[in-house]
Amino acid sequence: MALDFNILLQVLFWGLYAGCIYILLATGLNLIFGVMKIVNFAHGELLMLGAYITSTVFVLSGFNPYSLILLTMLVLGLIGIVVERLCFRPILGTGKLNEIFLSLGLIYVFQNGVALIWGDERQVLNSPYQMVSVPIGAIQLPIDYIIIIVITVLILAGLHLLLRRTDLGRAIRATSQNRKGAMIVGIDVERMDMISFGIGSGLAAAAGTLWVVSGQVFNPYIGSIPAIKAFSIVILGGLGSIPGAIVGGLLYGIAENGAAYFLGGIWKDSISFLILIIVLIFRPTGLFGESAE
Amino acid sequence: MRQGTKVSILLLTLVLASVLLAGCAQQQAQPQDIKVGAVVSLTGAGSNVGKHMKQSAELAVSEINAQGGVFVKAYNKKLPITLIEADDETKGDSAVKAVTKLISEDKVDILVGGYSSGVTTATQGVVAEKQVPYIVTGASSPDITRRKDVNTSYFFHYCPTTAMYGQYTTLFMDQVIRLAINEKFEFNDSRPLRVAILYQDSAYGKGVLNGVTSTITGNNLKIQIVSNQSFKLGETDFRTPLTAIKAAKPDVIYPAAFPAEQIPIVVQARRDVNLNTIILAVETNDNPDYYTGIGHFGEYSVIESRFSPYATPQSALATADLKFKADYKAKFGTLPDMMGTSTYEGVYIAAKAIENAGTLDKATVRDALANILMPEIVEAIKDRTITFSPDYREVQFMLFMEQLFWDDQAGEVRPKIVWPSDLKEQDFVLPDWYQPGSG
Repeated sequence: MALDFNILLQVLFWGLYAGCIYILLATGLNLIFGVMKIVNFAHGELLMLGAYITSTVFVLSGFNPYSLILLTMLVLGLIGIVVERLCFRPILGTGKLNEIFLSLGLIYVFQNGVALIWGDERQVLNSPYQMVSVPIGAIQLPIDYIIIIVITVLILAGLHLLLRRTDLGRAIRATSQNRKGAMIVGIDVERMDMISFGIGSGLAAAAGTLWVVSGQVFNPYIGSIPAIKAFSIVILGGLGSIPGAIVGGLLYGIAENGAAYFLGGIWKDSISFLILIIVLIFRPTGLFGESAE
Repeated sequence: MRQGTKVSILLLTLVLASVLLAGCAQQQAQPQDIKVGAVVSLTGAGSNVGKHMKQSAELAVSEINAQGGVFVKAYNKKLPITLIEADDETKGDSAVKAVTKLISEDKVDILVGGYSSGVTTATQGVVAEKQVPYIVTGASSPDITRRKDVNTSYFFHYCPTTAMYGQYTTLFMDQVIRLAINEKFEFNDSRPLRVAILYQDSAYGKGVLNGVTSTITGNNLKIQIVSNQSFKLGETDFRTPLTAIKAAKPDVIYPAAFPAEQIPIVVQARRDVNLNTIILAVETNDNPDYYTGIGHFGEYSVIESRFSPYATPQSALATADLKFKADYKAKFGTLPDMMGTSTYEGVYIAAKAIENAGTLDKATVRDALANILMPEIVEAIKDRTITFSPDYREVQFMLFMEQLFWDDQAGEVRPKIVWPSDLKEQDFVLPDWYQPGSG
């Protein structure tokens, strides 16, 4: 395999793009886990729902699909709140098995519900900028991917400000760090559960919007593989650690694309889990984790 | 009771019992219909194709029944066909349940369908054990009738194999694309065509790859495989393998992929990786969704095919092709696809085999299938006659290559047949933006 700098730069860029989707998904998952300590296996289906909502509103309204990202996040945030209130809250603290089987059940509910409404045939959405490329060095990069990377950075910066600079964010972090302590100081932890689930779902929705504007094919079943990767990233980065999810997401995106280039496409998934195993051997709590759950 | 009376009663009972049993036997021997089991993927990854296979089988059955059904000599009358559909869910274990139900509960006389090769091969053990004739109309792996670990003698392969895809496409690359590039760029005739292969890591993808390599070596063609990339089933991000392919400077790219993979391959190759080259596709992609999915990026790409929703071979079959499309659209409101077409024909082949057998006895029907000789129906067949090869019970389809051109009216690309010469609608075009590989 020839080591051409421009080719390597392009592979690195594809890794960054893939990492953005992973980061948004894993960050949402980690936020929910950090606050509620629940594992939602249906998190990938929220990405899938985000893809369908963006696509449907785009087809109906003709708006620029990037402008729909906030609307999609809001809709999925509300759906997340409903799911938290109706499904997870009643079983919270009743045992991990209940959470696991509930979220597994939700996968089928979301997949079949979407198949019922939109059908299960594959769909694709074309970005208005799909013919626009910008030169970076000697390579031409489609502007869509640069926009996707910028949007991801903006969303993460917004999340950082929310969690660090607002009372709500401090309350979410307090609940995440010590639930009983947060209750003692008067924080409504159930409200924090609801809000965290909503934000986490909104982040998955953002991943879904970026998934479709990048021209990826979507159908009701696209959520499963990204969700597995997101779980793996959460464990790699450290349970409940948002910086861990960001670093893990980037690491996965770049490693997968590097492996696909140097070793072949069939190594793409294997390399992620190989990295996870190696990290867990030397650091069982993950890259940024402080205590294992 | 006297001895004579006892004997009389016993004889009378025996006579009555004989009459009753004879009646039962007569009832068993006089079926009311022919039960055809359709094995289709109505849910799961193959559901969009399965829907067309199901609908096409229904269309064939309705047409045959409108003619009074199938004449079965043993009963000296025409019997209508009852179609019984079973969803294999595009999963091996579900397919085994579906086929078992069709055979054991529904007691079908013959099976038609089967899409995914992996799913279909999973059912072969049950079919072999129960010895029910099965006309496979979608699964393309040669293993369907060539594997040795299962008795495949009841399987009849009515669709081209992956080896045939690879063979036809490679011959097209050699006879048309290579010459067009050499002519346009004034390359020496000794320059080999540089081909990059991007194949699904499965029996299907490897089958196509083997078809290409064996055709190159078997015919000593001037074709060089400059990049050989694989991907996992269901992959949607091909940017990095395509970047690796670009580094190898190919003249053409031949992916062996399903539509959900081929659409992003075409879009990402042209849009993201700026591969200004000809991209080929395997026939399973020739359905309406594909044309919508690839958009402008599919312009000048090429599909190997045997039935297209939007193209009609310039042959004696043109009328049959157009009639089938019109009838299908009138009944279901949409155009048919390729796997549906072979399933439609599969039902007709089943009907003809039963008529030739003159009975519903499965072994006799199997023999009738093995010896069948009937005119081609919608798709072009070698020598215009449907017959299964004596060794592996395969049919020699006449495949063709289509090139896609933008159609302003449709707002999508549309195919034109460019090869072979006896079926083509126009010549292959090398677009202005095309860039050959190095060397």
